Amino acid sequence: MRPFQILRPATLEEARAALGGSAVSMIVAGGTDIMGEIQEGTVSPDTLVSIDGVRGPDGMDGIEVSDDGASIGSLATLAEIASHPAISRLYPALAEAAASVATPQIRNVGTLGGNLSQRPRCWYYRSPKFSCLKRGGDTCYAVDGLNKYHAIFGSGGCHIVHPSDTAVALLALDATIEVYGEVYGEAFGEIHGEVGTRAMPASSFFVTPDVDMTRETALRDGEIITRATLPPPDGAKSVYLKAKERQAYDFALVSVAGMMRVQNGVVTDARFALGGVAPVPYAPPALGDALVGARASAIDPTEIGGMATLGARPMSDNGYKVRLASNLVARAIEALLA
Amino acid sequence: MTTHTTIGVSVPRRDLRDKLTGAAKYAADVQLPGMLTGAVLRSPHPHARILSVDASAALEMPGVHAALTPFDVPDGSIAPDMPILDTEVRYVGDEVAAIAADNEHTARHALSLIRVEYEPLPFVTDAQAAIAPGAPPVHPGGNLVGGEPLVLERGSVEEGFAEADIIVEDTFSTPAHHGAALEPRVAVASWCGDDLTVWKSSRGVHQDRLLLSLALGVPRERIRVIGLNMGAGYGNKDETRLSALAVILAQRAGRPIKLESSREEEFVAGRHRHATVTTLRMGVRRDGEITAVHATTVMDTGAYLSSGPGVIRRAGQGALYLYRCANVRYDGYLAYTNTPSGGSYRALGAPQGHFALEQIVDRAAQAVGMDPVEFRLKNHVGPEGQPGERTTPANQIVDTQPLEGGIPFSSNGLLECIERGAEAFGWRDTTSVTHGSIRRGRGMAIFIYRGGPGGRSIARMRLEADGTLRVVSGVMDVGEGSITALTQIAAESLGVTYDQVRGTFGDTAHTPDSPITAGSTVTFSAGLAVKQAASDLRERMISAASDALYLPSSDLTLDESGISAASGARLSFAELADLVGDIEVEASVTPGSADYIVNSFGAHFAEVEVDTDTGNVRVLRYVAAHDSGRILNPRLAANQVEGGVSQMLGFTLSEEMLTDPQSGVTLNASFLEHKSPTILEYPPVEVIFADVVDPIGPYGAKALGEPPSIGPAPAIANAIRDATGVEARDLPLTPDRILNLLVEREGKPQ
Repeated sequence: MRPFQILRPATLEEARAALGGSAVSMIVAGGTDIMGEIQEGTVSPDTLVSIDGVRGPDGMDGIEVSDDGASIGSLATLAEIASHPAISRLYPALAEAAASVATPQIRNVGTLGGNLSQRPRCWYYRSPKFSCLKRGGDTCYAVDGLNKYHAIFGSGGCHIVHPSDTAVALLALDATIEVYGEVYGEAFGEIHGEVGTRAMPASSFFVTPDVDMTRETALRDGEIITRATLPPPDGAKSVYLKAKERQAYDFALVSVAGMMRVQNGVVTDARFALGGVAPVPYAPPALGDALVGARASAIDPTEIGGMATLGARPMSDNGYKVRLASNLVARAIEALLA
Repeated sequence: MTTHTTIGVSVPRRDLRDKLTGAAKYAADVQLPGMLTGAVLRSPHPHARILSVDASAALEMPGVHAALTPFDVPDGSIAPDMPILDTEVRYVGDEVAAIAADNEHTARHALSLIRVEYEPLPFVTDAQAAIAPGAPPVHPGGNLVGGEPLVLERGSVEEGFAEADIIVEDTFSTPAHHGAALEPRVAVASWCGDDLTVWKSSRGVHQDRLLLSLALGVPRERIRVIGLNMGAGYGNKDETRLSALAVILAQRAGRPIKLESSREEEFVAGRHRHATVTTLRMGVRRDGEITAVHATTVMDTGAYLSSGPGVIRRAGQGALYLYRCANVRYDGYLAYTNTPSGGSYRALGAPQGHFALEQIVDRAAQAVGMDPVEFRLKNHVGPEGQPGERTTPANQIVDTQPLEGGIPFSSNGLLECIERGAEAFGWRDTTSVTHGSIRRGRGMAIFIYRGGPGGRSIARMRLEADGTLRVVSGVMDVGEGSITALTQIAAESLGVTYDQVRGTFGDTAHTPDSPITAGSTVTFSAGLAVKQAASDLRERMISAASDALYLPSSDLTLDESGISAASGARLSFAELADLVGDIEVEASVTPGSADYIVNSFGAHFAEVEVDTDTGNVRVLRYVAAHDSGRILNPRLAANQVEGGVSQMLGFTLSEEMLTDPQSGVTLNASFLEHKSPTILEYPPVEVIFADVVDPIGPYGAKALGEPPSIGPAPAIANAIRDATGVEARDLPLTPDRILNLLVEREGKPQ
């Protein structure tokens, strides 16, 4: 473990500048995982930028819910999200996802931004003893190794699963992720951009290994997640279910977030996302089409559950995830139709 | 029945206040002036020859004071198959070299500067593959320990199976399972001239002193080993490589040193419950009588032997002895592999053996149309023991783990455990239930465990100059509460109150030689010595008072207020000590019986809920009925049972050490990944004690520490089968395994 410095900027712009000022700088907020990563040798930053003090006008700590939807600051803790009355009422999938993370201690300090940008738990990636694809090597050790926790959906050679619970819920809830940093684009040229905020749908915030082997999100160096916004639910129900091996302090074997809107007995909108099955929160492609327009009373949850895992390609130890994911989707649909 | 004032009373633990307030000191709390911090370089290879080690760059680093390599350590062995450091490493994590530095950061950095040239060797990570022809040898002489299996047979299983109407057989596996003690291994070593002091997380300071003496060539008399509180032992922490390295580093650096394992090191380089594969075959007649039992266990001892030979033997005792049967056999294969070492862990092999046995018993019961409780009541071994002829000579102490028949038990409360447990559980009224994806079922298991009589035990009792009454024993309380129980025994035998007796334990400088805390023997064996010493001290004190007061001993009584005479004269303990000086007595006992087998028994009952959608198993409630003789301290005893059941819930449902087959790397050496259960997983446990008074043990007590860990896995597996019909052969019963079994079952005709 090499020495590092900690900077404590007071504003978002100071934080961005602090990140840009060093070759290997990283953001720390709740700090529940980064020391582990440093000790494991997964990362070795020379600078940690603590954004916990970024409050005030451009603070990232608030949760606001109105008729127009919700805005959740990236520094909102998982405990705050889990216990927020309006989030629990209007976006239960997100509240339940936040409540399912790790332990009360971790939820009290862990933040939404940290939960979205946390690194995968793959035991080959996390061990300094393996030089895997993500660490710049040329092998995914999970393929011939022990892979019960690994992905069943296509991956670009790397079989991690995305570890975030809230990411799965945000994808199903059609969230938008806002980030602050240099905004690149046609107007600004490729090298130097203008400082500002860019927003992207959750579906493009998470990236697969074939797009970028070294990271799991579209965040660029120096960018900071500022908030997630959610469209108004308009009567839609949502739910988050998480299968794990023990009731606390565990990542999802498989999780599912589902959102469904039923008007006059007919499904008018439905979105599902799965965690624990792919390198990104995974949206099964055919589910929305199968559900939208269907009469609620005619839906067979088991059939839809089966569709959710079409195309899965399990490895030696993770075939159970196909059954588990199908069962959870069916259960989520039952809950949404209840 | 004699009335007791302290025995059978839930007096508070001796260490309760210190542990609750944080005042309790552990080996890692020891701070000495000028103390250095050590760190160990570990092998990245599962098997390799070390060609060279160059620590010069590390030694040049500021703040680094000493280094050890296999090429410069003294000759000497930690164990017959383990030198202090070896030029061959046998698992990923094996010790290669060590550093002493000003602090941990410097020490760890220095490790990265050590250059090691390895010649990788072929390796094997699977026990069955390891004993197949052509497997790469982990040690010279091959991977099957002893060169042949342990074969034990009473009667003839061939004849027994010939008498059977039905034969039930299957193969079961259990994983490498770590006790995950909160306190990792730690040793502090300090030299003062030729005298060495070691503070160590220890389960036996006297054995540690002996092993260090043998390894280092330092006379035992010059070594003092101190055990403070222990952050849980669960049977292991007896190996001394870490402390030997600390001692040599301290000598080389000329300063005291602390060497403490990280959590990852504790998992990988500690000791775990041995992984096993057991094939069990049972023959029964249509009337439900068992005619033959044959168990074959292949056990993975990992890279080193540790306590493997003892563990492989105990894995067979259930098959050989739990059920009344003339024809039984056990074949035990203990195999070296290039994986972390197994070692002693609560009930040493018995949980693995009973996991197979008790599931086969349920299937045999079903095959003959009998209820599992009824079948066990018909077949369990009774107080009279096994049929057959005693072969142990008449006056010789009987092994607590015999093969031969013809020897009765000193006490056997299996019947009480089964009947009272079944009643408390409501066995007859607990039926399997289906509700949506949820299936509920019930299961039970019974067990037998050796324990109680251990090695020769010595205890001292003292009246000190200020009137203090003190019990002195060299045993370590590894967290189970033995110092509390021994103090109770001392108080009872002396005739005073629990609070009046002080104790000195676990320090070789102040205590007589004592065995390790192992095999559930301390309260029984050290307890017999303490009881004798306390009774002797009582006599000596009365006799001394008699001399001092010029009164006949028969006129004197000793109680909590001191010694009083029929005439009304009275001497407090301080006054007596003032008059006659301090008095010390020592008692030495060789515990055991020439007439009886001393064993403990139990019956466990579980109701579980299986979610067939997710594969999750939840234990709803649990009843644990134990025959551990008279219970000396009901609260401590119940804690032991609750702890054992909770710990083995992890073994049953979630915990295993996973070794990557391609690289030999342990993949989940952390609390996050090893999946120890949390408080949310623990069911309510109702504890029942048969309270059969044993004629051999101190105040009728028998072994208790380990037996609670035997029942959970088979009881829960049987309940899962009752709930779902799936046969859970491979632990842990994680959701993936349960889902796979459910899918497999759907594919078969019901």
